[in-house]
Amino acid sequence: MEIKSTNREDFRKVYDANYTLLMQVVMHIVYNQEIAEDLVQETFERFYVKNISFPTMDDAKYWLLRVSKNLALNHVRRNKREIQLVDKVKKMPSETANYFDSSKAVMEEEDRKAVRDAVNALPENLRSVIQLKEYSGLDYKAIGKILGISETNVKVRVHRARKKLEEILSAEDKDVY
Amino acid sequence: MCIDLQMLSAYMDGELKEPYKTQVKEHLEHCAACRNLLEDMKKLDEKIQKDVFLEEELNRNKDAIYKKLDAKCFGEGRQVSFFRRKIQMSIPTAITAAAAAVFIFVGGFVFFGSNAKETNDILPSFSVNADSENVRLVSSGKNSLDDYTLEEILQYLDGKGYQVDISIKGLQPLEEKGE
Repeated sequence: MEIKSTNREDFRKVYDANYTLLMQVVMHIVYNQEIAEDLVQETFERFYVKNISFPTMDDAKYWLLRVSKNLALNHVRRNKREIQLVDKVKKMPSETANYFDSSKAVMEEEDRKAVRDAVNALPENLRSVIQLKEYSGLDYKAIGKILGISETNVKVRVHRARKKLEEILSAEDKDVY
Repeated sequence: MCIDLQMLSAYMDGELKEPYKTQVKEHLEHCAACRNLLEDMKKLDEKIQKDVFLEEELNRNKDAIYKKLDAKCFGEGRQVSFFRRKIQMSIPTAITAAAAAVFIFVGGFVFFGSNAKETNDILPSFSVNADSENVRLVSSGKNSLDDYTLEEILQYLDGKGYQVDISIKGLQPLEEKGE
């Protein structure tokens, strides 16, 4: 079953099958819904303009993931300064709010933040592998194809990323108690 | 010797191939230490998974964005540009197109690019009719002064008894002809 990017029906199929996945991946790079939506839209525009045929649905998926991931990384690199500024502003009120509120939702939000910070502390080559593994449900083979590395390499990097995350997160736990 | 941690990580992801998969499974059955390691790994994984974004959140604008893309890519007047389009043509169509191109080329040569002799060589039956003897200038009767030549006008005036002297500005008249 060949997929043609300029065929309206194929385009619809590919869009429906991959939109959520692309959003998930891009969100873990930019952490902003609007920017993620813009980047995913741009990815699909490129997909159409490229006017290429893919032998299978999976090949189209890998292409889209690769392009959207690169667009998102470029966006973060280009806007580093603005993003840091926004983060700073976001942090200010939340610290005071936590002081009064210690409900379960806030605890969960903190866990989530700790994980996010830990993942972002990883070097780029480990981070993209573990994010694709944990958040997009892809297997080692698919991840290897998207990133252009071997399956064995994916296995090694997933393990290294987990080891580092364990270290970072357990060190934080000790800080708290 | 217990299981290598990297192997355990791959086992957890369901990515370990046989025979290692069975070996790890059997080892886990009687090794509590490795079972604990695997449990810790699973807990860490669960923790990491907490940062996953909910599907309904991610899909909030899915339809709206699709509409935008569909209008942009497939809407009226926004088809693939001519140069990007891949030309798809069956073999008979291609042959017909090639023949038409040749016909137009040769036709242009025959009708516009050649003199009478060449036309005779290429298309004898046409050249007989196209010969200059058979082509005459047809006019619609004489109505205005533009239809007469200067000579005819002079002759006419002469016949009416006028004496007309014509000279060209800036030119000295030549010597009188005859006596």
